[in-house]
Amino acid sequence: MTAEPVTTWRTYPFTRTSPTEPPPELAEVRRAEPVAKVRLWDGSTAWLATRYEDVQRTLKDPKISSDTTRPGFPQASATAAEFRKGQRVFVRMDAPKHDEHRLMLTADFTVKHVRDYRPYLDAMIDELFDAMEAKQAAGGAVDMVEDFALIVPSRVITRLLDLPSEDSEFFLDRVKTSMSLDSTPEQAAQSGADTLAYFARTIDERSTGDGQDLISRLVRDRVITGQLTSEELQHMLHLVLVGGFDTTANMIALGTLVFLQHPDQIALLRERQDLVPNAVEELLRYLSVAHHVAYRQAKEDTRIADQPVASGDSVIAPLIAANHDPEAFPDPERFDITRDARGHVAFGYGIHQCLGQALARVELQAVFCKLFERFPHLALAAPADTLRFRNSIIYGVEALPVTL
Amino acid sequence: MVNTNEEGQLMGTKKITVFSERCIAAGNCYEIAPKYFDQDPEDGTVLRLRADAEAGDESLVARAAATCPVAAIELAE
Repeated sequence: MTAEPVTTWRTYPFTRTSPTEPPPELAEVRRAEPVAKVRLWDGSTAWLATRYEDVQRTLKDPKISSDTTRPGFPQASATAAEFRKGQRVFVRMDAPKHDEHRLMLTADFTVKHVRDYRPYLDAMIDELFDAMEAKQAAGGAVDMVEDFALIVPSRVITRLLDLPSEDSEFFLDRVKTSMSLDSTPEQAAQSGADTLAYFARTIDERSTGDGQDLISRLVRDRVITGQLTSEELQHMLHLVLVGGFDTTANMIALGTLVFLQHPDQIALLRERQDLVPNAVEELLRYLSVAHHVAYRQAKEDTRIADQPVASGDSVIAPLIAANHDPEAFPDPERFDITRDARGHVAFGYGIHQCLGQALARVELQAVFCKLFERFPHLALAAPADTLRFRNSIIYGVEALPVTL
Repeated sequence: MVNTNEEGQLMGTKKITVFSERCIAAGNCYEIAPKYFDQDPEDGTVLRLRADAEAGDESLVARAAATCPVAAIELAE
């Protein structure tokens, strides 16, 4: 009997050493071994692609699956595994079923359709800014997360789904628990179950009548017709919720922090409002908040660059690695709102590229058009090293105390 | 009077091909090149507005093609 050689691979995910920059190990691995083998939380191994080109090709490869029901499908942690295992929605499916389901939602997320939210967003942002000013004037401490970043996307999603606005607290809490790598698997499962039950009730309520909201239309056009089960629709709505909440909230909060770290970029943004859309793309690239997504499994033999990948092998193609590849974005650690960042993959790539990306863009553009105009002296109210960052599937900051 | 080649394509232009069966309605093409692409109101999938990229617009259309996450747009060489 021969002993298996002991091989130590790097453990993935890698650790950040600075809050708004990618883990330095990604750059090391990209230089040394662009397709590397890493070890995950459960001892299993996976191929890690770190080059922009390889990440794009991998996410577009039809031989590479997103179906988490496949045995041995990799995950970032036990909780992530629990969360993903429970998902029965197109983000975890392959074509053709994926496409069939996704396309049931896409009419409501077109670029033109979501741009209609801009006036609503502008009014909301002004109102929230007024409230923040009043809070500070009354001696209160303003927190960009609690007082602004969490509220904007939660109101947009509740409006999009035509849900009672008082329910957004409930969602905020459940999404946070479901997505946190620090929740226990049981907590994550319970939060998921609570949200699904909420949507089950809403679906029932909207089975009669002729509501023109998204949920009513889906119930009439897809559930009653038998194309979707109520359970499948619950999962779809949960995805829309999860996809649109803390992603955008974290981009608002972290984006504010990044700008505060680069006052020259604030000055430039204020001088050149026309740079707002580009600045948003650069924030998306630079931050790549969806840092624990893009876990896949090969369902046929394939390759990543020169590396053969066997059917059944786990594959990880981190968006943050692609977005910081110097081959794609020279001097990638430099935050520069004038650079051409439009080719970033912060929203992913391939058939699963974010359904809500146009909506995210509208929200972020509305925010960053107004933020430094209204508050040109915005500053951190706590030392940067006291900030606490979220260990979650989507990266974020727990709180961002500011003075206006 | 416009000049066309044997395939009826305007001279000095490049042919745009769209594979709409691949499209997942990301909308990047519309956002980048609304002169050439739109989104079908039914499901958001790509509508090609012009068959050819006009001279001077090649890099714009190429950019739209490059940001398509599913390679549904091709610009002839």
